[in-house]
Amino acid sequence: MSDQLIKPDLNFVKDVIASGGESLKKCFQCATCSVVCNLSPDDKPFPRKEMIYAQWGLKDKLFSNPDIWLCHQCSDCTAYCPRGAKPGEVLNAVRKLSIQNYSVPRFLGKAVGSPSYLVLLFAIPVVVFLVLLASLGHLSISDIPRAANGSISYAKFLPSLYIDSVFMPIAIFAVVVFALGISRYWKDLTSGAGMEPKGGLLNTIIATIGTILSHKQFKKCEVTKDRQISHLLVFYSFIGLAITTAWAVAYLYGPAIMKLLGMKPFSWLLGESPYPLTDPLKWLANISALALIVGITLVVSNRLKNKEKAGKGSYFDWLFISVVYLVALSGILAEVFRLADIAILAYPVYFIHLVVVFFLFIYAPFSKMAHMVYRATAMVFAKSTGREI
Amino acid sequence: MAAEKTKSILVVGGGMSGISTALEAAEVGYEVILVEKNPYLGGRVTQLNKYFPKLCPPNCGLEINFRRIKNNPRIKFYTFAEVEKISGSEGDFDVTVKLNPRYVNENCTACNACVDVCPYERPNDFNLGMDKTKAIYLPQDFSFPMRYVIDDKYCKKEECAKCKEVCTYNAIDLDMKAQSLSLKVGSIVWATGWNPYDAARMDNLGFGKYQNVITNMMMERLAAQNGPTIGKILRPSDGKEVSKVAFVQCAGSRDENHLPYCSYICCLASIKQASYIREQYPEALVTIFYIDIRTPGRYERVYLKAQKDEKITFFKGKVAKIEEDPATKDLTVTAEDALTAKKIHEKFDLVVLATGMAPSTQKWKVPANISYDTDGFITSNSGVNGMYAAGCALKPLDVYSTVQGSTAAALKAMQSLVRR
Repeated sequence: MSDQLIKPDLNFVKDVIASGGESLKKCFQCATCSVVCNLSPDDKPFPRKEMIYAQWGLKDKLFSNPDIWLCHQCSDCTAYCPRGAKPGEVLNAVRKLSIQNYSVPRFLGKAVGSPSYLVLLFAIPVVVFLVLLASLGHLSISDIPRAANGSISYAKFLPSLYIDSVFMPIAIFAVVVFALGISRYWKDLTSGAGMEPKGGLLNTIIATIGTILSHKQFKKCEVTKDRQISHLLVFYSFIGLAITTAWAVAYLYGPAIMKLLGMKPFSWLLGESPYPLTDPLKWLANISALALIVGITLVVSNRLKNKEKAGKGSYFDWLFISVVYLVALSGILAEVFRLADIAILAYPVYFIHLVVVFFLFIYAPFSKMAHMVYRATAMVFAKSTGREI
Repeated sequence: MAAEKTKSILVVGGGMSGISTALEAAEVGYEVILVEKNPYLGGRVTQLNKYFPKLCPPNCGLEINFRRIKNNPRIKFYTFAEVEKISGSEGDFDVTVKLNPRYVNENCTACNACVDVCPYERPNDFNLGMDKTKAIYLPQDFSFPMRYVIDDKYCKKEECAKCKEVCTYNAIDLDMKAQSLSLKVGSIVWATGWNPYDAARMDNLGFGKYQNVITNMMMERLAAQNGPTIGKILRPSDGKEVSKVAFVQCAGSRDENHLPYCSYICCLASIKQASYIREQYPEALVTIFYIDIRTPGRYERVYLKAQKDEKITFFKGKVAKIEEDPATKDLTVTAEDALTAKKIHEKFDLVVLATGMAPSTQKWKVPANISYDTDGFITSNSGVNGMYAAGCALKPLDVYSTVQGSTAAALKAMQSLVRR
């Protein structure tokens, strides 16, 4: 073995400690963690080596290695760690720093990761929507126009054009940031592994999607095996809500597009919301929303239940969980108050819903939400370089 | 001058530490009462096959000490006895000692006639449950005093009484009752020793679930001439000779889920036990899985010698998973080599867990208001004037350091008697 020059990045060590990895320095490299981990491969298993990389501030070794994302934080390592070094929490902190490293602009990553910017981050959507509502004269919720049948209509409160003019740019921003992040990450992974991924990338991506959809890796967890269900519910409800959104876009713009094409619009393209509860779109929407609230509640209860063994989680985790909770709760309540025709509650709750959804999307590349993109990328890379996972 | 001080010292625990403390004080000229809860003296050392530093069998050192006890009229000792109550203060303690009934009196000549007729069996705790004795039994071949005992949890007493009929020395008294003894002493030394940490609490290591996962104390008994296999190291599941043995270091030690401290002796014990295996089976392979090998001071030489043995492998990485093949009862050990970053899954005939030393006072507390550290060891100042701790009641120690520390405890106990 040739000599290696170690260049410790002490600020990185401090960042890991500040990001929920405060137990980092307790590790004495006994390697219990790598053995009790059911996800860890035999060759260069994690997380022991990650623990010493982190202790030594070897940031590049951590970032350019897919292993930090192959870890699904089962926390079996943390439960069995003889030193309370909590490898699961340390890797979680490293993953946060990795997200901040690859998602640009970096100051947004720092802001999302730090509680001192929380108010500012929320202030942006609040101001945006207040300005839009003020321009419509809808700030006083007493004279909001209603739907033709006299019921509350959020499309009248804040018309779709306004909504889309806010959310389309946000969505494009998030996609672009993710794309840039993935491309930079992939480059680092390639140089870190010292090898190009083998061909058949498409097959690898399909196989990875299969792994993710089946939640196969979560099933290998022991201490936090209940997470398999909670994460699955949250994951599939997000998919359900994404489909709902696309579906609603089709309802909204479908008839106009068909007319433009000189076709007679299908009768089932309902146009502007609200849609009747009997419509399949509403079935999917409501089932997904309920699954999300149940799933995220289970996430919280599992985390509290396993706090002793698995660690309490970081600000980064709890911010994401809270935002998801607020999205689900405000969405369901907005619907309930609308149907119950309680305007004084309905409009403010819908406002909150818009704010938290804005928050969820615009900060997605910098928040824990980004884990799905970076983990999927790391899994594809690992599979395509022959790492058994 | 106040009330006359008593000139007696009570030593609680008749292992290496208690015996040494008692002898040192008695040989200076103080009256010493030694109380031991087992029916024999010698403590944990009697269970060893060989002990450090010279790797002699336990009777080697103990025989001399027993002779010193026998020859010294100032030592009174009680076996099968427990301290129940203490009142008073330094220089003037009142102590109540409970003498448990052993149902066999001083007439016993250890002729073994009773054992031959006894129809009931009990698990042999001296051999850590690996074999059985009759309900009337000699605790161990080297028992001091050399006297039999009846285990009243298993004996049917007068209902059976076969032993009594066959005993020609009138040594069996099935009506014996527990007795209470009142003592006046000036100082007390707690030499209450240690227990092996309960290996079954490490749910990933399979002890209690897989027969061929044993503890280091069980290995001592397997290797000892007076053990369950008469000194032959055979694995428990099928009595097969061993050819590949794993030692799991820090099994419960240096682990905040179990014993947070280093038990000091386990690395040496495993290296010693590797030599037992190598002597009996010249072809056998031994792997010692460790976090760090700790052989302090001159014991380093023992480690260096073992490193030269090409059949002994030192593997840096803690074993955190053991699985059994239900058909062969062989064990697969998983560990990561921290030097090469490779996980191995290796098969062994026998796995020895180097379990650590838990202070006896971890669960059982002495009947006095003394202070303990967070691990349950007695603190070095004990918190009560006139009370001292010695040996493994203070911290995990080897025999050599225990004897030295016991001399110090004897000195302190004597100072309590002459103070003012």
